[in-house]
Amino acid sequence: MKRSTLRWLAGVLCVVALAGCEGAGPPRRFDNNDLELAVGNSARMACSCLWVMNRDEAYCRAWVKASPDVARFSFDANRKTVEASSFISWAATARYVDDKRGCILE
Amino acid sequence: MRAMNVAVGVMVLVSVAADAGPCPTRSSWPTTAWPDKTAQTTAAKGPQIKALEDALFTLTGADGDRKGIRTDGLLIIKGGELIYEKYARGFAATNRHLSWSVAKSYTSVLTGVAVQQGALSLDDSICKYLKQYEGQSVCEIQVKHPLTFGSGLGWQEGYEDEPYQLSSVISMFFGEGHKDQLKHILSHRRAYAPNEKWWYSTGDSQLLATVVKRALEAAGHGKDAFWTLLFNRIGSGGLVLEEDALGTVQGGSHLFATPRDFARLGYLMLNDGCWNGERLLPEGWVAASTTPSEVYVKSADKSEKLPSGYSWWLNRPVPAREQPKPWADAPEDAYAALGHWGQRIIVVPSLDLVIVRTGDDREGSVDPNLILKHALEVAR
Repeated sequence: MKRSTLRWLAGVLCVVALAGCEGAGPPRRFDNNDLELAVGNSARMACSCLWVMNRDEAYCRAWVKASPDVARFSFDANRKTVEASSFISWAATARYVDDKRGCILE
Repeated sequence: MRAMNVAVGVMVLVSVAADAGPCPTRSSWPTTAWPDKTAQTTAAKGPQIKALEDALFTLTGADGDRKGIRTDGLLIIKGGELIYEKYARGFAATNRHLSWSVAKSYTSVLTGVAVQQGALSLDDSICKYLKQYEGQSVCEIQVKHPLTFGSGLGWQEGYEDEPYQLSSVISMFFGEGHKDQLKHILSHRRAYAPNEKWWYSTGDSQLLATVVKRALEAAGHGKDAFWTLLFNRIGSGGLVLEEDALGTVQGGSHLFATPRDFARLGYLMLNDGCWNGERLLPEGWVAASTTPSEVYVKSADKSEKLPSGYSWWLNRPVPAREQPKPWADAPEDAYAALGHWGQRIIVVPSLDLVIVRTGDDREGSVDPNLILKHALEVAR
């Protein structure tokens, strides 16, 4: 097969491939890093686990463990807040709002 | 056949607008408690219960390994009575459990409640209730579109096993979108015209829940309308439905309820949207909810084998797509609310049955057919 024919065929395949993605387009990439997500997940889910699901600390620590397992949390039972952190720079706080709306990530 | 399916859908939609019809009668309603017949089942169905528990309560390895099927709660309601109930992994009847996407079916029911109240119409633009978006292209989206996963927004559903930076869901809950989740949802580009493409989306359900909340508030029902108009009435006043800091309702995932409350939602559906003689959902709503939606039939990817109606998953064959019913061991009229990590509310009208399963399956959620296969043996 001639090189020009191969180029033409490759072009057709590209068009077909793009048509297959019509509407979907290239994926959007979100501006989050794993550490930010890890501490957000840990704080938010631990808050709900402790004060909405009413599970104990040991269960909640196991339940919120995510990959990468880099977030650690502490909580204030009186204020019903959870603070999660990872290394030095990353931190997140979740707060129990009320008995209808549970927890929010601040 | 496709045209016929669409026609059926239109007919069902038309019937939703009809006046309220008679409600089913029951000897009792589980508003305060489920009538308990578990002891009788234990005495009569020993081998069937053992098979059920061997299939669903057997942990693989240590609990911390997160392997296999990890059931936290399992209930069977037959004829309005609790005939089987078991909890594990430290859960009890009083613990609320995270619903994950089972919340989408609650949001569907809440939409029906708002229609029944006259607070909104399925044909309304979402911008009627989200005034800050008036004049923008998202106003093409009508209430019925996210109800059937047809908003057309280019949402990227993805969870912990996929790249976090490509997940609209993870970004919304824990990342750049978490402070204003409505804005995050509506920042997704228009990938398709509304109702052109079926596209599973937690964003659609969360958008819908927020629209319904705003509509009910605008109609004078107050900020707790979900409780006063639905949850309290069906004995689920302890249910928690989380929001972001600006009041966007997380009606696609972050709902917490006890398994007995999940069963109450199934029981409401089983009784055609009526509770104790009162019609909470419009006549025809349950039928429309459990009919494959037009947008699913015409446009879902062929890999999506589970038909859906109004955010309920259906055990229906779809001839237009050459699909058999997905749960081979259950009757065709079975339908379900399904959530991540194995949360399930399954309704089987022909057997007068509701099955609830909560769990923590981290290796892929338990197949509803496995639950049905064993639960039906206990219930028969």
